[in-house]
Amino acid sequence: MWHDLAGFVFNLDLLNNYGMRLLQGLRITAEVVAISSVLGFLLSYPLACARMSDNPLFSAPALAYVTFFRGTPLLCQLYLVYYGAGEVRPFLTSIGVWWFFRDAFYCCIFAFTLNTAAYQGEIIRGAIAAVPKEQVAAAQALGLSRYRIARHVVLPQAMLVALRPLGNELISIIKASALAAIVTLLDLMGQTRFVFARTFDFSIYLYAALIYLAITEAISRLWNWMERGLSRHLVVTAPPVAAVITPVMRNTVENRGYVGQARA
Amino acid sequence: MGWFDLLFGPDGWTPLLLKGALITVALAVNTVPFGFGGGLVLALLKLSRNRPLRIACDAYTTFFRGIPDLLALFIVYFGLQSLLNKLGQITGEAWRIELNAFVAGVIALSVVVAAYSSEVWLASLKSVPPGQSEAAKSLGLDARRVFLLVVLPQLGRVALPGLGNIWTILVKDTSLISTLAVMDLLRAASEASRATTRPLLFYSAAAAIYLLFSILSGGAQSYLERRANQGYA
Amino acid sequence: MKSAKFLAFVGLAACLASATASAKEWKTVRFGTDATYAPFESVNPKGDIVGFEVDYGNALCARMKVTCVWQNQDWDGVVPALLSSKFDVIFSSMNITAERAKRILFSDMYYATAPIFATQAAIKSDDVTPAALAGKAIGAQSSTVFANYIDQRYKASEIKLYPGGDEPFIDLASGRLDYVIGDILVAQKFIEKNPGCCRIVTELKRTPDTFGPGVGAAFRPEDTDLKDMFNKAIAELDADGTYKKIEAQYFKTDIRGK
Repeated sequence: MWHDLAGFVFNLDLLNNYGMRLLQGLRITAEVVAISSVLGFLLSYPLACARMSDNPLFSAPALAYVTFFRGTPLLCQLYLVYYGAGEVRPFLTSIGVWWFFRDAFYCCIFAFTLNTAAYQGEIIRGAIAAVPKEQVAAAQALGLSRYRIARHVVLPQAMLVALRPLGNELISIIKASALAAIVTLLDLMGQTRFVFARTFDFSIYLYAALIYLAITEAISRLWNWMERGLSRHLVVTAPPVAAVITPVMRNTVENRGYVGQARA
Repeated sequence: MGWFDLLFGPDGWTPLLLKGALITVALAVNTVPFGFGGGLVLALLKLSRNRPLRIACDAYTTFFRGIPDLLALFIVYFGLQSLLNKLGQITGEAWRIELNAFVAGVIALSVVVAAYSSEVWLASLKSVPPGQSEAAKSLGLDARRVFLLVVLPQLGRVALPGLGNIWTILVKDTSLISTLAVMDLLRAASEASRATTRPLLFYSAAAAIYLLFSILSGGAQSYLERRANQGYA
Repeated sequence: MKSAKFLAFVGLAACLASATASAKEWKTVRFGTDATYAPFESVNPKGDIVGFEVDYGNALCARMKVTCVWQNQDWDGVVPALLSSKFDVIFSSMNITAERAKRILFSDMYYATAPIFATQAAIKSDDVTPAALAGKAIGAQSSTVFANYIDQRYKASEIKLYPGGDEPFIDLASGRLDYVIGDILVAQKFIEKNPGCCRIVTELKRTPDTFGPGVGAAFRPEDTDLKDMFNKAIAELDADGTYKKIEAQYFKTDIRGK
């Protein structure tokens, strides 16, 4: 009986025949995630600054942007980009960007980048807000320029606070990237669906799950290690358990959105 | 046809979108007791003295938090059913449990939400000082009473922000069920846009409804948090 | 105490599921269909599944004196869903092939239409040999006989597979795809709704190994009694002219096949 059940859950022949396909898919997943999370990171700081600006001309659109991209499912955003672009092709062609939206790969990168920028922007904003105001005041009193205050006083501390939530966001975007399969991209999930459609063998989903799991676990461990290394100078080093639970315990609006790693 | 007729005309798609929105809400609401309840059970088991049990629960959480939600839903949606059937075959039992798409969707979402929420529950369980349980025990309360009367009432306040987070994730996660079969809000928008070839209009409409949900949830959450924290500040 | 709680939770979950005995009289038959395939099956603004196969399936049910329930199911998951009892029959333009017959049971064929290649209106060439389509983007619905056909023969083309039946046509109209392979009547319906977007290039022969003889209803292997009921009803609806009547409401040509 147990042998039967094991054979049902894991089928090694399957891996033999289709393992290469999974690896090809993994490459696409890695490309999509790497490009969109880096681009999203680049967008996040300007976005956070706009959000914190006293000028409503900057802060209002930034708030709308963040609210939209965090308040609607990523799948819906992806459909909007992919099928929406198809609908307005004449316009996109006339401004010379249709080649970009024609490609499912670029559509995914576009949608994921805009989405993760919203999440990362809020993380950066929360992290900057966590730096005590007195420090900025003190730096101003010392006559430091705005750039130097940002570069040498605020950001180093803020990035340390942002490190863990940014790691969670990276894991989140890796998981979310599986949606690319729905708009024909043969990423890891896409290849998995392809093999399943061909074989109806359920094990392929479990293999894919193990690959995703290995990646997200590796990143989560890497982040723990980085955090330990970077926060060594702090007097109170948080024990690992507390590090996991602190975002949950902080009952502030800024920190909302860090805890869960998933988005739809 | 103009966009107004497509939405609100006699053959407009608004009724289907609204029906879909209702399904979305129903999926999310029905997931809450099982997802959050399951998460609490998981958290309690993680604190138990039984080591294999603890490891199993940790493995469960790691697995479902570490893989794409879409993949988790597929695994539960198809795998759970096949596994049940297979077990039925192997054990020679003549029973067959049938899950309709909505119920299967709720179970799949609950499995994922339980994994997410168990971490929140665990953190809030640890926030209750052990001295309180000890004091209650020394007053002669049994373990069940200690949990129900002393620990549980305090969990809600601490867990609220985290659970609220998971709720907003859950509402958005329901859209993944649309890729299986269930006629939720996103699926309704897909149907409308494929029938009319006007995806921008209908996906925007769906996005607007999701946005409304998340703004309402956010408002409700801060209200609940304010109430729960009265007398704590 | 904790395990009791856990059991209660499992019990609660099980209450949601309805347990049924496996051997039964068929009073209700649950139809699974992928309603992205107008004019055979699609969703109308009320949310109902409508189309030729729905009308025909309902007529079969009336003849078999059973209640029909229609369920939407994504095509990629249609066979697993059948096998895992999410419904009792696939009634969704499923072509009868030897490969599929290894896992599921087919009724007699109830319609047969031609597979086609469609292309953008601007592409004038009628050559659809693998050599001519090398480097071109070809779309099809995934897990279909059409997808298998191009996957086997068009190795040098860029193949894109879509979850829904009409999504390849939508992407053909938007210009993402150069060619789509699919069903002739589905293509005609799409072009009728989107005039000028695209054109049908050529009909393909129904090669038995890839496309099979035509479309049938599919059942779980153990439900031979249900299959026999369907075959009897299919024959009866042919004989009394009901098939012809329903067909005439949707199509100008005869799709019955033989």
